[in-house]
Amino acid sequence: MSLIKVCAVSKSYEGGDGAVEALTNINLEIREGEFLALMGPSGSGKSTLLSILGGLNPPTSGKLIIDDIDVYALNSERLADFRHEYVGFVFQQYQLIPYLTALENVMLPLSITSRSGKEQRDMAQTVLAKVGLGTKSLRLPNQLSGGEQNRVAIARAIVNRPAIIFADEPTGSLDSKTAKELLELFQALNQDGLTIIMVTHNQENLAWVTRAIYIRDGFLSQIPQEF
Amino acid sequence: MRLTNIVVQNLRRRKMRSSLLMLSVIIGVASIIFLYTTTQAMQEDVANKLDQFGSNILVLPDTEQSLTFGGITVEAPTQIKELDMSLIPLMQTIKNKETLATIAPKLLANTKLKGREILLLGVDFPQEFQLKKWWKVDGLEKNQIPSADQVILGSDIASSLGLIPLQTVTILGQDFKIAGVIQPTGSTENDQAVFMDLAVLQKLTNRPNAISLIETAALCYTCPIEEVTQQLSDKLPGTKVTALMSSLESRDDTVNRFNLFARSVSLILLIASSLVITITMKSSVEERTREIGIFRAIGFRKRHIIIIILGEAGFLSLLGGLLGYILGMSMAVSSGSELMKAQVHISWQPNLLIYALSASLIIGLTASLYPALKAARLDPTESLRYL
Repeated sequence: MSLIKVCAVSKSYEGGDGAVEALTNINLEIREGEFLALMGPSGSGKSTLLSILGGLNPPTSGKLIIDDIDVYALNSERLADFRHEYVGFVFQQYQLIPYLTALENVMLPLSITSRSGKEQRDMAQTVLAKVGLGTKSLRLPNQLSGGEQNRVAIARAIVNRPAIIFADEPTGSLDSKTAKELLELFQALNQDGLTIIMVTHNQENLAWVTRAIYIRDGFLSQIPQEF
Repeated sequence: MRLTNIVVQNLRRRKMRSSLLMLSVIIGVASIIFLYTTTQAMQEDVANKLDQFGSNILVLPDTEQSLTFGGITVEAPTQIKELDMSLIPLMQTIKNKETLATIAPKLLANTKLKGREILLLGVDFPQEFQLKKWWKVDGLEKNQIPSADQVILGSDIASSLGLIPLQTVTILGQDFKIAGVIQPTGSTENDQAVFMDLAVLQKLTNRPNAISLIETAALCYTCPIEEVTQQLSDKLPGTKVTALMSSLESRDDTVNRFNLFARSVSLILLIASSLVITITMKSSVEERTREIGIFRAIGFRKRHIIIIILGEAGFLSLLGGLLGYILGMSMAVSSGSELMKAQVHISWQPNLLIYALSASLIIGLTASLYPALKAARLDPTESLRYL
């Protein structure tokens, strides 16, 4: 069953030399429980597609349907609610709030819910333990390694139990050992039923995903042999 | 965790910026509090001093005919429809009786001294001296009150008749010792009058209990003179009660100038503080663009962003308002009176704390509204450009 339907989505940006087409007529269906890799060279439009899928960046034309919701037909506040309910993001540079501890960073999505402080804390602590950081919950981001920060970012993305995780180059700045641990974590989460869409340009990551799609110059295409 | 935790944690992290913003509120509030309390003290001091220089209210017989005395209008003594001493206790029954600090009854009479027509005033000396604090009387010791067989002379009458203290003069057939001569006052009537004990003059003129007019000093900085005048009119039938408007207008004018000055400076300080808050919060928002993008990406609504930004500004403004109040009041209490050369003691005014907190909160929130709205309108994708 399709969880995400991308219908004839195009995206163009106004540049100095006129409109630049970042994505052209993308049609795509993603089933619930998939672990999908979005691949392609730099500037191919994969991050743009990820931001559109995540409800952050409205397309110039076309529709995005997630769980039968026409995402970009929602007004800005309902769109924020949609992101809160359906989506978890793992950003490229982790993007943790530097003045909040690991635990508080994970509690961020819960801070705008009606859950009690204790409930929030218990949920965040459980998720941090799940990503292997149960003992480092009171550390600030600058007291954690890159891999640990990435795990905190993942914990923050999943604490609210969203349907989909979007990860943008999550292994890009990690050494191979840490990257492997991270992908194992993603795989475990995926096996728990979470749909994961990951932007990557690393071919080795394909071993962990259930499907991969390739984007070149704003079009979906076949994965090249040399990739 | 609540949004307030985010507010507090961010303020703790950005100590320098938070301190600068709070400092601008502290300086603004402290200056306004200091200015307000010291100006208030100056107003009170000026009012007290003005009150010391004469009566505010005159009680006269209610009749059409009159003459001028001491810059005020009184009846001609020969045609006077007199008042009597029973009015004095009545005056002390009005609603604002506590404002009537001095009640000085007077009996006016004409007589001849050394062949010259003079104005004779029977006065209650303790009350008269209380009322005319600026009098300097040659021949009288400090706080000495003339006795019943003594008179004091105005400077003009003394010099024109060649009279000096300790001489004896005969008035209405009775000998009086000259207890003192009043130094020139600038008031023709005072300088040309002879002052003696009221009861003695009443006896000598065979007008027991009679008085011609009553001067009263309403030592009230804030009391409504018009109301006191009306209350006296109501209590004293057959009298005409008049507030000395020249004195009031002069006082009002002085008070108004102080007020205008204080308000102008306060307004400038308010504008300056507001601008500092707006600029600081705007730059804070710009510095936190990416952070706001993260909040929006994980589902924060625009109002959550506004709450965070306004929460920070409100918290700092309240704290700044509190510290500004403490600093401003401390300065005013410790050195305000001395600095302004005022003789009024400035005391702590807890009610100003509520005004200080309310004003600083309103200014802080208003000045931060634009940066908060700007933050809420940030496009999450633009904020996270790398996506």
